[in-house]
Formats: sequence, C-alpha cells, structure tokens
Amino acid sequence: MNVAEALVMVMQAWGIIGAVVAAVFLTIGIDRIDADARGAYIFRPLLIPGVLLIWPLVLWRWWQTETERAAWAERYRPVRASYGIAVVLMSLGIVAIVTLGLSVRQSWPADIAPLQLSEGARQ
Amino acid sequence: MSVKYIPVQWNRNKWIYDAVMLTGVALFLWVFLYLTPEVLSHEQPVTAQIHNARAFGACAFVMLTVILCIGPAARLDRRFLPLLYNRRHFGVMTAFVALTHAGYILNWYFAFSSTDKLVGLLYANASLGQIAGFPFELFGIFALICLLILAATSHDFWLKFLTPPIWKRLHYLIYAAYFSVAAHVSLGILQDQKNHVFTVLFILGASAVIVLHIAAWLSERREIAAKDGAWAEVACVGDFREGYAKIAKLANGDRVAVYLMEGKLSAISNACAHQNGPLGEGKIIDCLVTCPWHGFQYDVRSGRSPAPFTEKVPTYRLRVIGDMVEVHPDANPPGTYVEPVPLPEPPPDPARDPAEQGATA
Repeated sequence: MNVAEALVMVMQAWGIIGAVVAAVFLTIGIDRIDADARGAYIFRPLLIPGVLLIWPLVLWRWWQTETERAAWAERYRPVRASYGIAVVLMSLGIVAIVTLGLSVRQSWPADIAPLQLSEGARQ
Repeated sequence: MSVKYIPVQWNRNKWIYDAVMLTGVALFLWVFLYLTPEVLSHEQPVTAQIHNARAFGACAFVMLTVILCIGPAARLDRRFLPLLYNRRHFGVMTAFVALTHAGYILNWYFAFSSTDKLVGLLYANASLGQIAGFPFELFGIFALICLLILAATSHDFWLKFLTPPIWKRLHYLIYAAYFSVAAHVSLGILQDQKNHVFTVLFILGASAVIVLHIAAWLSERREIAAKDGAWAEVACVGDFREGYAKIAKLANGDRVAVYLMEGKLSAISNACAHQNGPLGEGKIIDCLVTCPWHGFQYDVRSGRSPAPFTEKVPTYRLRVIGDMVEVHPDANPPGTYVEPVPLPEPPPDPARDPAEQGATA
C-alpha cells in the first residue's frame, strides 16, 4: 500500500466513524443537549456533513455539555485577539508563495520552430 | 426560551442577497467561458471539461476573495454591514463552486485511472522536494476541505453547540484556506500563463484581501489601545437615547451594551446567550431588551430572561465621570443584578442656540 492509498483509507475510515457518530448524535444526543432541537427534525440532515467532517469535536462538545464542564466565562471570551495573528500569517504566506511561484515560473518562446534533438526510434 | 431550528432562515433581504449572488456566479461563468477566452489565453483548444474546471476554479477564487473582503470592509465602514449579514450563504455557495471545480478535475484527468480517482490524484505527482512542479493539488485539496468544514458548520445549531469562541476559531480556517488557494494558484495555473491578465487579476484580488484585513486589524488595535485601562469609556452622557444602547468595545475585544432605561444606565454583555446575537442593537420594551436575531429577552439590570425562561448573560459595572460614562471590563457572572446608574443631565453645549436646546430637551 502506498501513501496515497493509505491517505484515502484514512479518509474513508474517518467518514465511516463520522457516519456512526452522526447517527447516534442526531437521533439521541442532540435532544439531550439542545432544547431548541427537540421536536425539530427537518434541519437535522443538514448537520450530517458537519458531523462527518468534525466528529471528534462533536464528541468532545457533547461530553462537555452533558457533564457541564465548560466554565460560564468561556462562552463570552472573545477570540478577536487571534485575528491579528491569523491575518498577518495569511498575508505573509500569500506574499511569500506568490513571489516564490512567480520566481520559478518558466517561459519559453512559443513561436520558434521545433528542433529535433535526437533521432527517433526506427520502426 | 426556545426557538426551534429550521433548515434555512429566509427573509426578503436574504432572498435578494442570494438572487444577486447566484446571478453574479452565473454571469462570471458565462463571461469566463464565452466572452473572454482570448483574454485568458483559452483560445488554445482545450476540452470543455478543462475549460469548465478553470471557470469554476476562477469563480471560487473570486467568491472567496469577495467573502474575505466583506468582513474588514464592514468593520472599516458600516455601510458594508448589509453584505456581512448573509455571508454564510455566500460561503456555502463558494464551497459548492469549489467542489464542482474539483469534480471536473477528477473526472477528466483521472477518468481512466487504474486505481481510485482520489488515489490517482494523490499519487500522480510526488515531487514534494521542489518548488517548480510541486504537487499544487495538495493545496487545493486542503482548501476544499476547509471550505467544506466551514460550509457544513454554518447552520445556527453549530454556533450554539460549539459555542461562539470555538466556532469562531474553527472558522478562522478561512484564512488558512485562502493562503492555500493562493498557493494552489501560484504553483498551479500561474506557472502556465502565457499572457499576464489572469496573473494581474489574481494578484489584485489577493492584495485587496491583505490590505483590507491589515487595515481593519490596525484600526481595531488603535481603538483598543485608546481604551486600555481599568475602566473603559463608553460614550458621553448626551449621546444616550432612552430605550437604546451604546456598544462599547473593551480592551480584551469583548463588547458591552450599555442601555439607558428610565433615565438610568445598565450594562450587559452584547452577546445573547442563545447564539451571540447583538443585544445592543435591540430596543428596550418594559425593562426587557429583545435580541434582534431570535427574540430572546433580558432584563438589562440583571441580565436574566423573564421567568419561566432561564437564559442569563453577564452584567457589568458602570460609573459616570464628568461627562463620560465608563464600564468596568470585568464581567459579573451571568444573571448578577447591578443597580442602575442615574444618568446626569448633559452639560449645556455653549455652541448651540439656546432656543434649539429648549426645543430638544
């Protein structure tokens, strides 16, 4: 098995576990932790892709909510402080990668006659 | 208090917004595919699939660029706020456009792959040790995964379930996705450009995102630095209107809504306990402020929803120094009663006409 096949297998396993988590969470868990979801069923299929993608986070938050472990202040703690870091990193990264991309770009004269470098294989 | 979830919350403005967005997408694809092939060097005979893949890829880049410009533009100039309020639909549509781009690539270049198409895509180019010829597809795959996560967690449920700080951190993936798209384009299609129109447009788009975000960040930093200190200034005494709030931004980035009710001031968190709706944009009726998003109500003196509901938000201490109303940045636990602070009469403005002052008093 090569790396590419291993990566695809990991993705498939991730999706299968996510599907099991989605089935349990969207039928049992969601009613236990969110009053707004009780009696509301039509929106639940919309949540399936999200659970498939971030099921470890879903399990963690489900456990946190069930056990009431999150401190009240956490909910109100803003994350704007990280905005500057995110923006600066993104900006520097873009400038670097575009510069790098343009510096290795090759150009060639498109209108010159082709030159045969070697004899082709004889039939 | 409970507002049942529904699949999508529509209103007239969202219909108009989505109609304009979809028209824009259709127009972009039409212009790209049929009007400008010579401008973008597509007069060369390429297959319809490649042409479509390029059109959808370019469209996804433009959409992502617009999305990323809306946020800082709205922070720098409030006139852009209407564009911000329905940005989630824009994001979901972008994920679908990007997915279509990936679909065209997979189903053309790897249509006859002897292995799984995705394995073929990951296996086809393993030149990880060089820049020219680097497998730029990896950046595209990473960006697509980010966009799918953002789109899949855009429903209101996720904001409440994950809590706003976690949801917001998760959605910071947009910055990683945009960098990844820039890398995907720089090491991919940009390497194959024989005229520079696309290169220039790409650099202009990315520069707009960078400039707007840096400007918004610096502007926020200046605001916060000006308010640093134990007590933060909210507004002058004369600026308050009965029944409405002034919103103060604290040095830690949190927002506080300070209301004037029956001549007295009270402060609560600007973030609704339900889904962090902007409470400061609500109006007070019968001592209760109503969240403009879903109608949750709170007593502004205690931060509590009226019985039998149990939602609570933090409250804050206030004081009036001279002509300035100030708030203490340390939040009280949600539901803590704070005695309202009487608002003194604003000092007369000597520059104004006395007759006018009497008319507005």
